[in-house]
Order: sequence, then C-alpha cells, then structure tokens
Amino acid sequence: MTTISPRGMRRAARRVGPASTSTIVSAVVVAAAIPVLVVVWSIVQPSTEVWRQLWETRLPGMLRDTATLLITVLAGTLVLGTGLAWLVTAYRFPGQRLLGWLLVTPLAIPGYVLGFVWLDGLQGPLGARNVRSIWLCALVLIFTLYPYVYLFARAAFLEQSQHVVDVARNLGRSRTQAFWRVVLPMARPSLAGGAALVGMEVLTDVGTVRLFNVSTVADGVLRVWFGTGDRNAAAELSVLLIGVAVVLIAVERLARGRARYTQRGGRQRLSAEQIRGPRLVAVPLLGWAVVVIAVAMPVTRLVIWAGQARRTNQTVTVAGDLGFHVVSSLRVAGLATITCLVLGSLLAAGLQRGRRRDRAAARLATLGYAVPGPVVALGVLITLAALDRTGWLPDAWLLVGSLLGLIYALAVRFLAVAYQGIEASLGKVSPSVVGSARTLGAGPLRVGARVQLPLAAAGVIAASVLVAIDTLKELPITLLLRPFGTDTLPIWVWQATSESLWVQAAVPSLAIVTVGMVLVAALLWTLEHGAEVNS
Amino acid sequence: MNRELTIHRAGYLLAGALFVAACGSDDSTGSALAAEAPDGDAGVVTVYTGRHYGIEPVFDDFTAATGIEVRFTTGNDPELRERLVAEGANSPADVVMTGDAANIELAAAAGLLASLDSEVLTSTIPEELRSADGYWFTLSERARVIIASSERVDDPPTTYAGVGDPTWDRKICLRPSTHPYTQSLVASLVIAEGEERATDIVQSWVDNDPLYINSDTDIYKAVADGDCDVAIANTYYLGRLLTEDPSFPVEIVWPEQEGRGAHVNVSTAAVTANAPNPGNAQALLEWLATDGQAQFSNVNFEYPADPNVAPDPIVAGWGEFDADLTAVRQLGANQPTAIDILSAAGYE
Repeated sequence: MTTISPRGMRRAARRVGPASTSTIVSAVVVAAAIPVLVVVWSIVQPSTEVWRQLWETRLPGMLRDTATLLITVLAGTLVLGTGLAWLVTAYRFPGQRLLGWLLVTPLAIPGYVLGFVWLDGLQGPLGARNVRSIWLCALVLIFTLYPYVYLFARAAFLEQSQHVVDVARNLGRSRTQAFWRVVLPMARPSLAGGAALVGMEVLTDVGTVRLFNVSTVADGVLRVWFGTGDRNAAAELSVLLIGVAVVLIAVERLARGRARYTQRGGRQRLSAEQIRGPRLVAVPLLGWAVVVIAVAMPVTRLVIWAGQARRTNQTVTVAGDLGFHVVSSLRVAGLATITCLVLGSLLAAGLQRGRRRDRAAARLATLGYAVPGPVVALGVLITLAALDRTGWLPDAWLLVGSLLGLIYALAVRFLAVAYQGIEASLGKVSPSVVGSARTLGAGPLRVGARVQLPLAAAGVIAASVLVAIDTLKELPITLLLRPFGTDTLPIWVWQATSESLWVQAAVPSLAIVTVGMVLVAALLWTLEHGAEVNS
Repeated sequence: MNRELTIHRAGYLLAGALFVAACGSDDSTGSALAAEAPDGDAGVVTVYTGRHYGIEPVFDDFTAATGIEVRFTTGNDPELRERLVAEGANSPADVVMTGDAANIELAAAAGLLASLDSEVLTSTIPEELRSADGYWFTLSERARVIIASSERVDDPPTTYAGVGDPTWDRKICLRPSTHPYTQSLVASLVIAEGEERATDIVQSWVDNDPLYINSDTDIYKAVADGDCDVAIANTYYLGRLLTEDPSFPVEIVWPEQEGRGAHVNVSTAAVTANAPNPGNAQALLEWLATDGQAQFSNVNFEYPADPNVAPDPIVAGWGEFDADLTAVRQLGANQPTAIDILSAAGYE
C-alpha cells in the first residue's frame, strides 16, 4: 500500500472551501454537454411524418440489427476477453508474458481497417454475397474490441488474492470450479466496465457496419440526415441511441451491484499453474490463434499492399507525405488527450459519486460517448458557429474549422473514456485515506489533486492512453471539423477506402496501427508498473 | 488561495497545450489555433469539395496559370453543406463542389449559393447542365449504366427496368440506397416514368434479391468474379480498372438508348453566397470550364461538360451514347420521392 508523503499531507491540510470548485466543474459539464443537448433539443419539434415512415419501413430492421450486433459482440468480447485473460493469468507456459502483451494489440487496429482487410480477403473464399453479413461484421468488432474486456478482466484477476482461490480449493473445488464460483463473480464489476465500453463502441460505430451492409440505428442517423437533409429526424434517432446507451449503463450498474472493491495491502497474487503435456500446446495455441487472426494476418496483408503502393508511387497524398500525416495525427490526438485528461481529472476530483446531483452532472458531461461521431460533430458545429456569430471573438478569428474547435469536439466525444478511467481508479483509493485528508481540512478538489490523483496515477495514465488510441483512430469528427492542412491518417484512409483503393489505404492504415502499437505498449507498461507500485 | 492554485494549474496546463498547438502549427498554412478568415481578394480561393480524387493536379495547374492559391478541404457532400449552413456569413468557403446534382440543388435551395452571370460559363456549359438561375454549373458528367459480364451474359438488359426482370433473380449487384448515386438514379426514373412506375421498377430490383455493394469498384469486381452477372454502376470506375487490366471481363451496356438515354449524374461547382473572394471563385469555375476542362474530366475518366472537349481515349473507346440530360436539373427536387420509394420497397 502506498503512503502519502508528509509534504502531500501538509498541502492537503491547508484549508480550502468548496465554492469555486463547483463553478469550474459546472463549466466543464456545461461545455461538454451543450453540443449533445443542442442535437437532443430538436426533439421538441418532432417530425412525426418522418417517424411514422421510419416505423413503417426501416426502423424495425435497424433496431433488430442493432440488438443482434450488440448482443453478439458483447457475448463474444466477454467470452474471448475473459477467457484469454484467465489463460494468461492462471497458467504458466513459455511465451506467456509476450502473449499477454500481444493480446492487447488489436486495440491499435481500427474496426474499419480490419473490416476492409477481411472483406477483401474473404470475398474470394466466401463469395461477395456471404461476406457482407452481420455475423462477419460482429466478428470484426469482437476481434477489435475484446481487448477492452481483456484488459479489465486481467486487471481484476491480478488484483484478486490467491487466498480466495485457496479457500475454494480447500473446500474441495477444482481450479476450474474456483474460477467459475469465485474468481469470475469477484471480477464481475470490472467485466461489466469493459463490456460497457464495448457496448458504446458498437452502438456508435458508423464505419465498420457500412462495410458489411449492416443497418444499425447509428447508420440510420446518417442515412436519414444525409439522405433527406432532415436534421431533426436524424437528431431524434440519435436520442433513441442515447436511450439505448442509458439502458446499457443501467445494466452495467446492476451488474456491478453494490460491489465496491478497494486495494488492500499484504495479499498474495493469484499463482499461475505450470501446465504440462498436451495442454502445454493447446492452451497457448488458443491465445496465439487470436493474435494471428486479429493482428498478424491483417498486418501482413497491409504490408503487402503497402509494398505495392510503394512500387506504384501511391505513398503520398496532395496534403503531404507520410511524415506530414503522422505529425497531423499526433498533434490532434496529443492535444485531445491532454484536454480530456485535464477535464476528466477536474470532473473526477470535483464530483462525488455519492451525491445524486453529481452523478447526474457526470452523466451529462459524458453523453458524447453515447452518440455517434458525426452527430457530435454536428452538435459542435452548430454550437461553435453560434459563438462565431456573437462577435465576442477577436476579429477574423473563427472557431469552426479551427484546431481549437476540433479538439473541443474530440473532448466532447471522448471525455467519458478519460473520466471513467480516472474516476474508477480514484474509487479504488481507500476511503480511509481520503477521509484522513478531508478531516485535515482539505476540500474535495484539493484532495483529488494532491492525494487521490497521485495514488491513482497508473489508472489515470491508462485512461489517457485509451483516449489517445481512440482519437488516433477517429474519423467522422475530424473529417467535418478539421482545419485546412490538418489531414490526419484516418482522413487518408477514408479518401482511399471511399473509392475502394485498398492499396492506397494500406500505408496510412499501417501507420495508425504502428503508432497505436506504441501506445498499447505504453498502456501495458503503465498497467504492470502501476500494479507493482500500488500493491 | 491554494484551492485556486490547483484549479489554475489545471487551466494553465490546458492553455499551455493549446498554445503549443497554436505555435506548432505556424509552419502549416492556415491551421492556426483559430482559423483566420481571409480578407478580401487576397490571391486565394477556398474550396469545399465532396469530390476528392484527381482534383489536386487540376488545382495546381490553376495556381500555375493564375497565381491564385487554392485552399481546399474534402468531405461528404451533405456534411459540407451542413458546415456551410452553420458557418453562415462567417464561412471561409468561396467555392463548393459536389459529386452529384441533388446535393448542389439542396445547397441552392438552402440559399447557400450565389447566382453567377458569366458569359464564359454559359457559352461553354450546355443549358441542361447548369442551374436555370446560374447557381451551379456542371463540370463533368458521370454516366450510370448497366454493366454485364462479357463472359457469361449474351443478352443483357437494355433498360433500367430490365434489370428487375426475373431472368436476373439473385444475379444482380446494386449500390445501397445510402449513396446519392442510387438516389439520383431512382429520381431519374421518377422524372421519366412517373412515381408509380418508378416504384414498380425499384420493387422488381428488390424482388431479384440483389447483392448490395457500397463501392462501384467492388461491383465491377463482383461481376468479373461471377458473384453477379448484371449490375448498375458508373462508367469511370471501369476506366480505372481497364488501366490496370486491359482485358477486364466486364462490358458496358448503354441503357434506354431507344428512349430518353442513359442516366447521367454530374460533378458540379458553385460560388457560395458569402464567398470572401467571389472574383477568384468565379475565375476558378471559368478556368475549370475551359482551360482545365479536359484535365478535370479525364483524370477521372468522366465525360467533359463542354461537348467540344474530347474525353479520354479509353472513354472514347466505349463509343457514343445518348444521355438523359433533361433530367439533370430536376434530380434534386425528386430526390426525396426517390428516397421514399427506396425505403418503402425495402431496398437495402
């Protein structure tokens, strides 16, 4: 268990009052919620005619596809993520550590990239008709999203004490039974957290689904908005989507139950079982198969295409060469991550989970994660354009089409990822530590910044890496709001894939995957390093 | 107060990051912290374009010829239109370019475009290919035709309605209705044959259980690979495929040659209502309609809007055909009906 330095205690002891804390936090909540609320607001003038027509035509199909995809991907990622996490935690075999790392790397591969690689590769063997199916789409999403569950599950397994398993085994249970009866139920809150992230990604995906002709509600939002130009009807569909997301979060809360887990010192980690015989081959093989399917094969395909692109001189765009696009991407993702980190920390430190009003505020501020990127982009566009028209800004300055506007929009979309991560790790800091600091007279924000955040550093860094990966892969918001000359890697991928020029899309796709892999490595290092520090 | 300090530190961190962003972007033109609105005609023209392939060399040549620098951003037609609506009088855009007629009509209807009175444009672009009020001008035509396997199909359909013939049950490939190409094609059916007949035709396609593919290139490949025998696609994708493989086994069938002619959609350009540089904007349009016309059209194997400009040799090799030009200006107005028909028929 970590101790607080005397200096930290002294600082925490300085007397602070709560007044302007809430002002700042309120400002963050309002700024994050407004673009989404602007879109939601349109529901006060419902376009009943469009609704009626949607009910009679596409809406039932959209709801069916959304439900099918959501349930399939949730089930798939839970099984795959939990199973793989158990495999690398509970068994000892050669290459176990490496496999444990590699199993996180699909996080670096955007669904739309794995989607077009599989689509092209499987079109021959399966036929063009069979390859465009909701099941293959679900499979692509499972293989790109399972790392969320895997990460949470692995962390949960690592935090569990061997004593618990020993007790189960002393009561005559096998190791497998101990997993089902003890380890898994104890990991339930973490699994629910990972699954909730997966659910949000599935609900708001607009890139992968269209590759496979899957008509989800999120796709329907774009279909209605772009097809009919009816922004209100599109906004109403978005509200439906937010509704589904709220239900999903409620289910997660239920799954989490009243469970509350805090770090405890002096425990013994789960011990891994040395396996022998046929299982020594079979167990690692399962893990390696996933790495090959989700990473090695698609990356190999991309490398081959990139080679073709090099030979045919298709490795630059008008905007610039690879270096230019990488720098654009890093700048946008870096700034968005810092912004999310700062705002997320402010929220996590300033809002108390026990207070009903604060919980509502947190939910408002993180609405953007439940809304597809293009809808967030539209909401931000309307908000910023209104600000531009007020004349409050210096002459000749416009927020729309500025880097500031783009970063703001990305923060609205991904603040939830930073906030949830930071809030979760703060929650694990023992209440007694927080209590002592408060008793010494420190205000909530001050305790947050001086006591909780440093203690939860690993979780905070992990959350920012997740935001960085998300913003690195982000397309629809960047597409609509980017300044002139800021063409990120996903924009390049989009320009090529919207014309089915897979060869041209290979170089930027590989670059996204490479940068993503570096971030994933940073994430893993933090998690392992952080686990050592905190335990 | 110390509490303030903590808060301020967070603020400084954020402000610092954004300052770094602002400084870091000094080297790349225009991506400053807040976008600067260009003032007056300053040797620059800003373009929002929904057509994003092969466009850059054309802009480079324009700059070489006129000294006017082109700044442009790419995107989807409807999103760029929303951006214009939101920006209003503050928009930096001078020119908007789309890949289809309906989206530019919607922009005109929303009051986003300026009416141009240009002798150059009216004399080079045929009347059917520009808005009656001078709001937009076609730069190139894209024919959406029937394509068939040259190995397996002897008697391909010659009308769009023919694609719905039961002969082609489970043998056709179509683009999903999310794409403007599909919407405009159905709008052209409504214009030529009336709403009822258009509904029947779309229903007959759906009854043939089409394979929906959201990429014309992949539709061509599906026909070549035998996933379908007959499909509807734009011709220029074949131009690209033929440069890679001259013996690509798919042939073009010009539809409706006994009647109105093949459906054509258009690449358009217009000057925005709030253009900061209207003079440069008009200069770009006029240059693209004249000196740049051949390059603009041929780089993507499209048909030049100016009938006096020759298409690319590959395109010319497909022969002459009759095009349904009279529908072009009405596509936008009929698009909503087309979308209703597609939805009601259960078209993907």
